[in-house]
Amino acid sequence: MAPGTIRPRARRWTGVGVAAVALALASGAAAAQKVAPINVVINQSPWFGGFSKVVEAYEKETGNKVNLDVNPFAGSAEKQRSSVRAREGQVDLLVMNSTWLAEFYHGGFLVPLNDIDPGFKLDPQVINYDDTAYWDPKTKTNNSRTGVVYGVPINGNIAVLYYRADLYEQAGLKAPTTWEELLANARKLHNPPNVYGIVVRGARSASDISYDWMPYLHSHNGAIFKDEKNGDFTVTLNSPEGKKALDVYLELAKTAGPPNPGSYGQAQVIQALVTGKAAHATPVIAAWSQMDDATKSAVVGKMNVVVLPHGPGGQPAPTLGHFIGAIPKNIPRERQVAALAFLKWFQTYDAQLKYAQAGQPPIRKDVYAADFGKKPEFRWMKAMVDSAPYPRMMYTVPEGAQIVAVLELRLNQAVIGERTSTDALNTAAAEIYEIMRKAGYKTGRLPDLK
Amino acid sequence: MPGLARGGLAGDTARWRHYTLAPAVAVYLALTALPIANLLVMSVHDIRWEQGVAQWAFAGAKHFAELPRDQLFRDGLANTALFAVCAVSAELVLGFLLALFTSRVVRGRLFYRTAFLLPILIPGIVIGAIWKLAYNPDFGVINQLLGLAGLPGKDWLGEKTLAFASIVVVDIWHWTPFVFLLLLAGLESLPQDVYEAAKIDGASAWQELRYVTAPMMIPTIAVTAVFRLIVSFKVFDEVYLLTGGGPGTATEVVSFTIYRRFFTEDRIGYGSAISVVVLFLLTLVIVLALAALRRRRDAA
Amino acid sequence: MVGSRTASLGMHAVLVLAALVVIFPIVWIALAALKTQIALLRGDVFFTPVWTNFNELLFSRSSDYLADFLNSLIVASVSTALVLAIATPAAYSLHRLGWPRWVPAAVLLWSLVFHMLPPITMVGPWYVMFRSLGLDNTYTGLAAAHLALNLPIGIWLMSVFVREIPLELEEAARVDGCTTPQMLWRIVVPLVAPGLAATAVICFVFSWNEFAVALNVTARQTATVPVAIARFAQEYEIKHGVMAAGAVLSAIPAVLLLLAAQRHIVKGLTAGAIR
Repeated sequence: MAPGTIRPRARRWTGVGVAAVALALASGAAAAQKVAPINVVINQSPWFGGFSKVVEAYEKETGNKVNLDVNPFAGSAEKQRSSVRAREGQVDLLVMNSTWLAEFYHGGFLVPLNDIDPGFKLDPQVINYDDTAYWDPKTKTNNSRTGVVYGVPINGNIAVLYYRADLYEQAGLKAPTTWEELLANARKLHNPPNVYGIVVRGARSASDISYDWMPYLHSHNGAIFKDEKNGDFTVTLNSPEGKKALDVYLELAKTAGPPNPGSYGQAQVIQALVTGKAAHATPVIAAWSQMDDATKSAVVGKMNVVVLPHGPGGQPAPTLGHFIGAIPKNIPRERQVAALAFLKWFQTYDAQLKYAQAGQPPIRKDVYAADFGKKPEFRWMKAMVDSAPYPRMMYTVPEGAQIVAVLELRLNQAVIGERTSTDALNTAAAEIYEIMRKAGYKTGRLPDLK
Repeated sequence: MPGLARGGLAGDTARWRHYTLAPAVAVYLALTALPIANLLVMSVHDIRWEQGVAQWAFAGAKHFAELPRDQLFRDGLANTALFAVCAVSAELVLGFLLALFTSRVVRGRLFYRTAFLLPILIPGIVIGAIWKLAYNPDFGVINQLLGLAGLPGKDWLGEKTLAFASIVVVDIWHWTPFVFLLLLAGLESLPQDVYEAAKIDGASAWQELRYVTAPMMIPTIAVTAVFRLIVSFKVFDEVYLLTGGGPGTATEVVSFTIYRRFFTEDRIGYGSAISVVVLFLLTLVIVLALAALRRRRDAA
Repeated sequence: MVGSRTASLGMHAVLVLAALVVIFPIVWIALAALKTQIALLRGDVFFTPVWTNFNELLFSRSSDYLADFLNSLIVASVSTALVLAIATPAAYSLHRLGWPRWVPAAVLLWSLVFHMLPPITMVGPWYVMFRSLGLDNTYTGLAAAHLALNLPIGIWLMSVFVREIPLELEEAARVDGCTTPQMLWRIVVPLVAPGLAATAVICFVFSWNEFAVALNVTARQTATVPVAIARFAQEYEIKHGVMAAGAVLSAIPAVLLLLAAQRHIVKGLTAGAIR
């Protein structure tokens, strides 16, 4: 295929352009040419600003039109779901969040990118977000070894550890690498009611406490399922590792946190950070943009982030909250080509550089090493590049929402003291096993923890 | 009330009674029949998507059988019923009181009408977000005011019973205007001659209220109560933003469960079954209540 | 009219107290529109007012608030007018034009049942229907949806007010040779005016604030105010200040409607109508 959109200005004015037009008309491919306008459903969020700047640059450089339909977060999932299920969709480039991309993969709505362009490959510098850009339709798993590429990551949002660098300096503390170290630091800085050592996201909702606790589970070498990538969904939630992970979480909440950790949802956690009430918390990097903004924060310049701690014998395991850009089957071929043209452009170094300079986590490793990353306002980049080898998905099955609902309820009950950690894990494991069994997966479960 | 309608029909009435009803029936057929039929059909099927195509599998009464065992659904139903009863009765009483007084005072009527209407003009999502801030234990205005008065702040949304009471309060603030507006319109439509007759008879204010106003207002109150009740079963935005159904399941409401099952978990068949059951129960309650009301009125 | 002075004062006292309780959060929301986010999150009582929230709401790249406001105005006005125009004759027909008893019962029951459906269950079929007719992302589609959503309450409310029209009045008019359209226009509508006004306000407000359906059958061009405001309730940052600004502006049309509607209600009117 021709190099595509690399030299757009040249093509309009030279004979090469004319020839390319003829070639394009002849071959029906639009690779070197203006392509059809595309519709993208995107949600209004902190990274929207960065994304729209990148889109503007794309439109200017290539002359291709991208129509952004901005929606509230929940709305964008609904709209995209309606669109892929209709006979002909209106959304050309799907922007799928990690929490619901499983539904789109399993439902068979997406087209493998090599069907549109056999030569397409993900740039090797693009970070691998736990294989979520790949899909194996035979085994129905996100597996980069056995699957083919279906998408390009649009946004690299993961959880990191936020901490008060100023308080650390005063107390002579070092950034923690294990949860036990975090516990020690948090206890030292715990000074209620002025400052809480750590504010955990303990609330029950569509996704709060389960998302917050996942890194603890995974970094203790625990997991909900035995071997998701290879299709073994035996429930291993209530293992000794799981109990250790939950116990340290509850310990943090009880001994270094506010009196009511079960009421803190994501918004309240971030509120605690920006008002200076929390010395530690673990929201996603997307919340960073609020920290140094004087109209939104009382702790400008005082915060810093570092890769999440891990459990004994484990690795950091930040949970993914990212977005994958994919292309639906139910749109005309010319729009699929146009959508792919945008994705190709998006994964280039130049595009990602613009993205990062707009303050958003780029999806390419090499951009993190760029010079501008050394400036103080980009101090968040180090945590991101340190986290790059480790991000994990919470689940990759469409039943994910049901699983999360179980975890949210049982974990919340543990954190408000209604159930012990053993009881919460056993109950949750039993309920998740039921869900997977009814849905026909290869599953089983561990005996109850004592 | 037959009488006039049956006996003295004007020549054109036969035609006109069709013309005047037709548009409403047409709207219902075109726009409401499909969603209701769809819901009923989906409630007895399992729908999965494979290869981009919907697979409908007949599931019979499977979903309905699962419902009684669904703890979340049972909690949701109980909570919603309690919520509806508490909130709606409070709103009826308050709304009636305010409407009555507003209709009786001479001065400031326009001010009161406008003021009491304001909460219902605010979109639910804003109400949820702002009250959430107000209830915040660390920074919220409620605890700040309590602090000024020397009282300890509370975790309004963090304790089970308190959280429930807190959302009832928000609902009362949000929806009393609805009741107020309708009851005021009802009061202002009452024929004045009955009051003049009562005054001539020397009735006191209380007797007037009990024997004249209240009976005549029953249709308006009934309709307001029914619609308020139905809408309270659909309460979503406020609960979603304020508590998300927590702590635990203290504020889990049925519309939540439906939203979660139907939309978030994409279990359309099961979610539809929940809707059908709730619909049926609610209809039953309302029809029985209205029938009982009619029987009492006819007897009186 | 209550005679005693103390009773009147008593009523005013209750009303004023209630008004304060009702208005306090409203004022708070209005003030929130002028606060910076950190001032709002910290619960600052004293703050420097800023216009940034209104700026972001009206002029930022991600917001089409003014266009959305206009969309809401069109859809709410049209759907409300349609509801009134359809529900009033329907109510009159059901209760005063000699249908056998099961007809009004069936229509009213169907209205109730439909009204109970959670909006989320209607979105799917309506989206498919509108899309196949080319009505998605149009005013017609959304106004039709809102018409369907509000017709139940329109019919029920107008039923209540229509049934209060004294039969003698109708009889007299019929004897005078009044046709049904004349009856509707000259007798029914003036007599149910307060009910009509209240129903108009209710339907307008419900349509204006409707979210679930509007979100799904509109796209950028026809998005309404609640969708616009919801865009600021983001995953990681609920922009309370901007939402409050949106809510403040959004309340204006309904308040104007209410004031205008009150001008047309004649208080104590039925006494005058029964000559």
